[in-house]
Order: sequence, then C-alpha cells, then structure tokens
Amino acid sequence: MAAPALELRGITKRFPGVVANDAVDLTVRAGDIHAVVGENGAGKTTLMSILYGLFPPDEGEILVGGERVRFGSALDAIRAGMGMVHQAFRLFPTLSVADNVVYRAEPTRGVLMDRAAALRSVAELAERYELAVDPEALVETQPVGVLQRVEILKALYRDARILILDEPTAVLTPQERDRLFTVIRRLRDSGRTILFITHKLGEVMAVSDRVTVLRNGRSVAGLVTAETSPEEITRHMTGRSVDLNRRAAPHRPGDPVLAVAGLEVTGEHGRTAVDDAAFTVRSGEILGVAGVAGNGQTELIEAIAGLREAAAGSVTLGGADITRAEVADRRRAGLAFVPEDRHRVGTSHLASVSDNLLLGHHRHPDRQRRGWFKLRNVRAHARRLIETFGIKAGALNNPVSTLSGGNLQKVVVAREMSHEAPLLIAEQPTRGLDIAAIEYIHGRLVSFRDEGGAVLLVSAELSEILALSTRILVMFEGRIAAELDPAAVTEPDIGLYMTGAYLEREKGGAPGGRKGGQDG
Amino acid sequence: MDRTDRLDRLAQGVRQIWANPAVFPFVFAFSVGLAVVLLTGGNPFFAYQEMFVGAVTGSGLRNTLDQAVPIIGMALAVSAAFRAGVINLGGEGQMVLGGLAGALVAIYMPGPGALVVPLAMAAGMVTGMLWAMLPALGQTRLRLPILITSLLLNYVARSITGYLVRFPFLDDSVTLTSTEKIPEAARIPKMPLFGGVSLSLVLVLLLGGLAWLVYKRTVVGYETQMAGLNGSFARYGGIGVERQTVGVMAVAGAVGGLIGTHLIIGSAYRFIDGELVVSGLAWTGLLVSLLAANRPGFILAAGLLFAGLQIGGQSMQRNAGVSWRLAQVLQAVVIVAVASRLALGRRRRKGRRSAEAEIEPAHVGEV
Repeated sequence: MAAPALELRGITKRFPGVVANDAVDLTVRAGDIHAVVGENGAGKTTLMSILYGLFPPDEGEILVGGERVRFGSALDAIRAGMGMVHQAFRLFPTLSVADNVVYRAEPTRGVLMDRAAALRSVAELAERYELAVDPEALVETQPVGVLQRVEILKALYRDARILILDEPTAVLTPQERDRLFTVIRRLRDSGRTILFITHKLGEVMAVSDRVTVLRNGRSVAGLVTAETSPEEITRHMTGRSVDLNRRAAPHRPGDPVLAVAGLEVTGEHGRTAVDDAAFTVRSGEILGVAGVAGNGQTELIEAIAGLREAAAGSVTLGGADITRAEVADRRRAGLAFVPEDRHRVGTSHLASVSDNLLLGHHRHPDRQRRGWFKLRNVRAHARRLIETFGIKAGALNNPVSTLSGGNLQKVVVAREMSHEAPLLIAEQPTRGLDIAAIEYIHGRLVSFRDEGGAVLLVSAELSEILALSTRILVMFEGRIAAELDPAAVTEPDIGLYMTGAYLEREKGGAPGGRKGGQDG
Repeated sequence: MDRTDRLDRLAQGVRQIWANPAVFPFVFAFSVGLAVVLLTGGNPFFAYQEMFVGAVTGSGLRNTLDQAVPIIGMALAVSAAFRAGVINLGGEGQMVLGGLAGALVAIYMPGPGALVVPLAMAAGMVTGMLWAMLPALGQTRLRLPILITSLLLNYVARSITGYLVRFPFLDDSVTLTSTEKIPEAARIPKMPLFGGVSLSLVLVLLLGGLAWLVYKRTVVGYETQMAGLNGSFARYGGIGVERQTVGVMAVAGAVGGLIGTHLIIGSAYRFIDGELVVSGLAWTGLLVSLLAANRPGFILAAGLLFAGLQIGGQSMQRNAGVSWRLAQVLQAVVIVAVASRLALGRRRRKGRRSAEAEIEPAHVGEV
C-alpha cells in the first residue's frame, strides 16, 4: 500500500497549564475524507494549527506522503501541499473573488498583475469543481456559503493536495451544508485528501470515510465510518452515551411576559437590521428564533436588552414599557440575559470568578448595605452558584479566564438564572460547548420554563431550536419570515425561510400567509 | 528538616517578590543607572549610597515625605479615573486651577486659619472637580474622547491661571509673576515630625486608606472596576457607565484640586505662574499610578520611592558629583520597563488565547 497522505506521530503541544495535544497519532490515507471529531477543548484546533505550520509541536513528527516535514510557517505547509479553510474566513471584503483567490500567487504580465488571466483561471477552476462563484463579484457582497467556496478555491488554486476544513458548517444553512458535502466528495474523487474537523456527528456520518476521535488532547479512536455508529463515536468523545434526539415535552404557556410590537432597529452603517418585528413570549414557553447569523437576531436581542436603541416600535416587559429604559431598569423589571459573546460581553476576562458571578446581583440587599458589600454574603453567593451549577472553578479570586469554555458559560448561565427573572434571553447559549455542557444547559433552560419562566432563545443551531422551542420564529434579512410549530416542521422547512427561498415560492402565487404553520 | 523548610519558605518569598510586577523595573533601572555611572567614570555605589542617605536621613527624610505628598495625591486622583477605564490626562489642569482657587480663598478670605484653610481646600476641590467634569460631559454628551479633551484642557487651564496671576491678582511688590503671599494663618500647618512635615501627609495617607476601602469594599468600587476591566460587560450588567464616567472624573478633579491647593497653601505659599506645571508633579503621579496598577497600597510605596529618587538625586549631585538627572534617568527607565512588561504580558496572553481558539465562536460577519 502506498504511504499515507499524511501521518502525525506522537504530536504533543503544551501551553501554560494545559496539554492541548498529548501524543496524538493520526494517519490519513490518500484520497480519503477523514473526519477529526472531539468535544471543544479536545485539541482539534491546536492539532490543525500545528499541521498548518502556525506553531511548532513540542514533540512528535509530521510526515507528508511518507516524508518527514518540519513547518516553520504556514508558507511551508502550503508548499508541502496543504490548504486550510479557517472557521473565520480570511478574505479581503473590498476585493473581487478572483483577486482574493490569486492573492500572493498572482499571474503576472511583466511587473503587472494579469487580471484577465486571473479571472480566467479562477472561472476555470470553479467550473472544474462545480464551485459556483462569480469571479468578478466583490467579496463583501457575497453570502457566507459563497465565501467558503472562495476559501476552498484559494487552496485549490495553490494546488493543495490535502485540504483542511475547520468546522466548515458552523455558518451554513442546511442547504448550503449539503452543497458543501457534494463539493467535498467531488474533491476526494479528483484524488485529493480532505481533513474535516467538526463536532457534529451527523456530518461525520454523512460525509467521511474514516474518523479519528480526540478526547482531552489524545487520539482515542480511529474508526472506519461505514463500520461505526454515532453512538460509538459519542462514547469515544465523551466516555459515555448521550441521547441526542430528546425533544422537550410540550408545555402549556401562561400569560405574556415580553411583548414586542413594530420594533425597528438600526444596525451598523445605518442599515435597518430589524424591520417591523412583533411577537410575544409567554411564561412557561421557549420561543426559538432561528436564522442564519447576521439576519438581525443580534440587533433584535440588543434592542430588547437595552444595549442598542430602538428606532421605532415598543418593547413591553411584564406590563411595563421598557422601550427606552436603561439596562438596570430593564433588569429590575425582570430581564436576565445570556449574551451571544460570553468572552467579551458575558464575562470580564481579568475579573475574578466571584466578581463575574456578582454582576447584576451586586446591589441586592443581601449583598450590600448602604453601598458597602457584605463580603461574607458575596462569597457565599458565589459559592452557592458554583455548587448548584457544578462550575469547575479553582479559588473564587482566580481570574475567570482560567476557566474552560463550558465552565465559563456556566458562570454566565448561573448568574443570569439565579436572578429568577420572569424573562430569560438566551442567545447562542451552547455555541462551541461540548455535549455534556450542552445537555446541562438545555436541561436548565427546560426546567426554567417548567417553573413558569419565559425564554427567548436565539440559536443558529437548528437542532437546538427544534429540541427546545415551544414555537419557532425564523428571521430573514431583519424580518420575521415565519412563525412555525416545531412539531410540524423539519429542518429543510425551516431552511426555506432562513435562506429567503420562501419568497420565491410566494412570488409564484402560492396562497397562504407568510406566517402559516404548516408550509413545507 | 526545619532548616530546609525555612529555606524553602525563604526561596518562595524571594520568588514572590521577584514575581511582583513592580520589582523588576526597579532592579532593571538601577542596573542601567549603574552602567551609566560606570561609563561616565563615576563610582555608582557611592552615588547610590549618597542618593539613599540623602533621601532618608536628616532633612532629606522630611523633603522626601513632603515631595511624596503631591505625587501620591495626584496618583490617587489618577487611579480613580484609570481604574474605571476613564483616561484622564487632565490632572495638571485640575491641579493648577484648584491650586489658584485655593490660594485666592486663602489670601482674600478673612477669618481664623481653622476656617480659612478648610474653605480654601474646599474651593480647590470644587474648582478641580468642575474643570474635570467638562471633558467628562464632553465624552458622554458629545462623544468627544476624554483622552484628548482632558489633555488639551491643561493648556487652557495654564492660560487661564496665567492671565489671572498676571493681571487681576498680580502682586506687583515682587518681581515674580505671582499672587500675594499666603498669610501665615491661612497656611496648612507643619507637624512636629521628622523636622516639620506638612500636615497634608496625614491627609494623603487617609485618602489612600479611603481609596483602598472604596475600591475593595463598596458597590461603587466594584462598579467602577468592572467598567474599567470590560465596558461591554459592565453595560450589559446594568452599570450606568456614562454617569459613572462623570462621577469618577469629578472625584479625580476634586483630589487634583485639593493637591493643587496643598502645593500653594501648604508648601510654596505663593501661586507663581507656571510653577506647578514645571514641577511635573501631575505627570509623575500619573506614572506612579500606572506603575502601581492603580492600587492604593502600591501607590503609597511607589510614590515614596519616586519622591526619594528625586530628593536623593539632588543630594547625590551635591555629594557624589553625579548629576541629579541620573534620578530622572532611573525614573524613566522604570517607566519603560513597566510599559514593556505590560506589552510583553499582553503578547503572552494573546499567545495563550490562540490555544483557546477552539472556544472562540466563529465570526460570521468577519470576511
């Protein structure tokens, strides 16, 4: 048998206080789609960064096509035939697709760049791999799915034999995801090797030939996809079995807690980010807001939470108009909020665990008297939350940045839930977390609902929306495209609204309002 | 066994001291100074000895303590704003205007010292406070960056006091561009301690203690610190960051004005045009606060050290023939070392964060 396309032997990488990779072995056969799965913090991204020459391993060796290589930088890796598609795209928004693809490898005529040749070869390449892009379009005008194709083209243009895709589906709609899988298969069939990093089991099963499972920085299993099952992979990832398909039991909603009417919000660059949004969230229900990120969800939530001004419309919480209220007043009126960005908004990196757990509770009469903290009660409050929510934190005075992603999010969730506010806004509450943490937070949200709380849940993860929501709103380009019943829809149905495809259909003259429950 | 135990503890203590972010800069600075003196053919150990002796013995100690009062005071003023993430570079203007206001009350207000002195201090504080609130309101109402406005207002303050001292309040009996002398009764008294240290020392120490209490133990201290560490987090949690900006500036300005008043009615006894500016005390205070990471305990220590450097430097020049500017060099190297350490620390943190990249969410809008 020929030498494997890529082989990692005993790769170890240490960072202060953590071993990110611990003697990882990985063998990738040429012409395979090889999935690397693991919970967050398992060391996937570190491994890929080493593979792509972004930093050197402390121990171990890398073999490409049977030959030992040593990458001093990403350029070395590219020269050895590696191509990387990062999670966050690295493109120039104001340049054309073709310019981005040929950047740093431009075809030239004399000292000038040969634009025509660039356009031609990019169009050719795109056609050969059926990666539909418009080479002349500006990158900033293109949707996310296209940008990813541009990134793939970039790698192909440099004739990458081994393509690394780091969590490529995180930003895609189901339809775009399926299209990506077709592309990946086609690339494999043309003789390239694909390394596909993900934590989604469905994708592993759908597209890969082989799987390597990482756990706690170690490679714990190398499996052939056709011979394994999601349950087996999960067992390797977590060391225990979990139920992935639990849908929340239906529940009887009570009185309205939050009412939004005719809300209009201005986003960056003065564009209308939220247009005429209207809905209510009742006690005892979870209202799920689905949508591809960037369709106004963030602005909607910020306007409700008081971090962004509403241009028009009203927000009513528990009967009180809070449209123009300050954040503190909104919180007093009964709003708790788990924000999307737990690193920059939900926590304060340099502040201690205790200080992070205190925010918003710090004026509670149990914790202070006339502006002086009752230090004993403050500490007791922090300890109580740490215990109730099973947060793994060292000393209370340690900076919160020493916590892992899952525990950091637990800090946010614990703090916000312990307000016992009637309304909880949960924005991407489980993004980037491992299965155990996701399960835990889902359980918390459901029990909050069962105790009569109202939850406004925003998530880009459709499975999460479907698993938890009592009702589903879909946002597209700032508007509420549909209100759906989770029991009666499937992922592709929601996808129609997320991508705006429903508009095409309506133009075709199909009757029925855009707020029908049973559209698909 | 007992001995190794003790040795261990000693080693650990040494490590702790070494790990303290304020220690390395001083060691580094004195090493650089040593090299400089050696290169110029002097005896660095003699120079340092003279510097030390001059700073802590005899009248040197009193001078050091007197010099420490405004340095520590201005550092505390700066710390109030810096801790809350408000970059107040207007300490000088707040100090100068407050100083003049205090001086004018002390000169023109009749009455016993026990009444006039506190009133002069109050006048200095109110003036400094109002002056500091100007850039704060500019930021919160008009979105003018406080960093720039507070700095530029220093020049305005300098010109205003320059005009007032030159024209309406000029004492034309002397050749100085100055106000009249502060009457004996309206001066801040000296204590019969270390050969007559100003009573303001007690005031500054009390201020330091108060700052420590407020920063550590109160809701206001917590809210300001949260705003300073992460404004988005504070705003999200319901802290009124805008109102707070005005508040901390008011406090910083009041303390600045108080220190200005002390410098005139407790030390110089005349408001001479430009004198407070030339002293650079506001800026030394700012550096001390930076060096101490805005923590009151460290501010007291670092303020004393800087004051000792300045006073000891003069004595070193007299007795060891090494220019007092060496003290300035040491001060400057300390600052550079602190700044580079901050920058290095930030880079190291960044490196670690890239290891945590897995927990960073994908940024969809980032193309």
